[in-house]
Amino acid sequence: MAMTLVEKIFARCAGRDTVTAGEVVWVRPDLVTVPEVAFPAYVKRLRGVGFERFSNPDKVVVAIDHEVPAHSQAGAERNRLTRQLAHEFSVGHLFDSEGITHPLLIERGLVRPGDFVAAADSHTAVIGGAGAVGVPFGFETALLMATGQIWVMVPETIRVTLTGKPQPGVGARDIALATMRELDETAASYRLLEFAGEGLAHVPFWDRMTLCGLCIDIGAKSAVVPADAVTVAALEGIGVETTGDVVSDAGARFCQEVEIDLGTLEPLVSVPPSPTHVRRVSEMRDTTIQHAYLGSCASGTLEDLRAADALLSGHKVREGVNMLVIPSTRKTYQRAMEEGILTRFTAAGATVLAPTCGPCFGGLAQLCAGERRISTSTRNDPGRMGSAEAEIFLGSALTVTASAIAGHICGAGDIAKGRPS
Amino acid sequence: MRPYTGTCWKLPDAVSSDQLIGPAHVFDFEAETLRKHLLEEIDPRIAAEAKPGDILLAGRNFAQGSNHSHPFIAMKAMGLGLLCRSISRGPYRLTIFMGVPILTITGEIYDALEHRDRIEVDFTTGEVTALETGTTFQAEALPPHLLDIVKAGGGFEHAKAQEQDQKPL
Repeated sequence: MAMTLVEKIFARCAGRDTVTAGEVVWVRPDLVTVPEVAFPAYVKRLRGVGFERFSNPDKVVVAIDHEVPAHSQAGAERNRLTRQLAHEFSVGHLFDSEGITHPLLIERGLVRPGDFVAAADSHTAVIGGAGAVGVPFGFETALLMATGQIWVMVPETIRVTLTGKPQPGVGARDIALATMRELDETAASYRLLEFAGEGLAHVPFWDRMTLCGLCIDIGAKSAVVPADAVTVAALEGIGVETTGDVVSDAGARFCQEVEIDLGTLEPLVSVPPSPTHVRRVSEMRDTTIQHAYLGSCASGTLEDLRAADALLSGHKVREGVNMLVIPSTRKTYQRAMEEGILTRFTAAGATVLAPTCGPCFGGLAQLCAGERRISTSTRNDPGRMGSAEAEIFLGSALTVTASAIAGHICGAGDIAKGRPS
Repeated sequence: MRPYTGTCWKLPDAVSSDQLIGPAHVFDFEAETLRKHLLEEIDPRIAAEAKPGDILLAGRNFAQGSNHSHPFIAMKAMGLGLLCRSISRGPYRLTIFMGVPILTITGEIYDALEHRDRIEVDFTTGEVTALETGTTFQAEALPPHLLDIVKAGGGFEHAKAQEQDQKPL
């Protein structure tokens, strides 16, 4: 029977030969990830009902990534307790202030194409960039750690075929937002998005994390770029062996087909009140901003930092704009430092901080009423970053950097090429 | 599980997870704290006045956005039930996992019920009665395996009960 990629993954994790979309099956994920936000609370709840052990602690990844470094007494206590409980429960991996969980999983070689990761955090779909499927389960992840299994409904798959070649200045964020224009929540709900087509050749490996991670915000169950030559080369580069790439069979059933011509895209932004409110950057040029943020699990990669750095060359962050740059992992931070990128960001007037989820959920650098920020992070609900009367716009690293230079929303194409410094 | 009888608190479409409980409370999992903040941005009277047996009547795409457990911990502590026109998989699962009874309803039922109406909802049969008029509507009840989790009081209690059932006497 022809199966989709996700049917194959869930069949394997259910110990079955085949499964079909719509079935409810019990599965054992390849990895379970929980951030410090929730880990001590989960353990407390588990102990309250008498669970004292994890079923398979080797497969559990605990990450201290949301409040790093601790900037409250409660946060310091939570981080300490997380470390202590991670040791008590012998979890396989503790990421302690080393970066954001989802890109770290890939950077550390912990996910391979065809893996299934169950996560407490919403944006686990980022790992779809490596051909794996990440699904968020919130508090249910606690019980999953105790029992080792969880029920899932096998989702239908929507195939999003990318054709053509993007214009300079158009990248993964813009493709994700273009996908949001094609698929609303009603179409995406309970379904998995699978990207395909020759256009993927123009979406580099690390950009695929951005592409997949943002699809959660359409309301999809998850998203994946099936492993191809780009995936294999990138994963080999970080020492991951890829055996028997998991891809959809010819003849597998897709519930919907969408085609996006990358050549027709221009830079896009999400405007308040939600990521799915998508506009062209060119329509938004009158919107002044006081804050710009480059970071989060949906950006903050070395490639995004390099692109922003190149655009900033010969320019400064405009007076009156606070630009914050947060590399997504410690390794990315270190590489960016070695390449001089962080030095140049600082010289141009940006503030660089250590890897954390921080500003994405309002844990750091909050906004006041009436302020506007353009951000590479995941969501822009009112109140997400402080005051409910602040406005958050979401765009690519290039759009955010261009806007920081200009002081209003604009694209990389609006910024004059800088003089060599 | 007995029917829920109480006041209906009507909400619009697309109430987001962040509007249900603001992200400022993301680190807090204490039910007694969270219940004070449920929907405070939209209508602070809900947290102050809602009583056990009351029903949140939501429109389409309820709890969209971040997959946060907090609103459902609060709803469970407050003894609320949920009727909504649609809900995506993340919050749907969390509703059931936290032991909050839920029915997805049609636009006809949503439109027929007004804010502050007295209603009765039998979550085991899917029957919704507007007590002001006596009109009864039929919604689709939860599938049995999910209803069992809600009846047990939530996922943890359900798992524990199953574990005990399997123990030899």
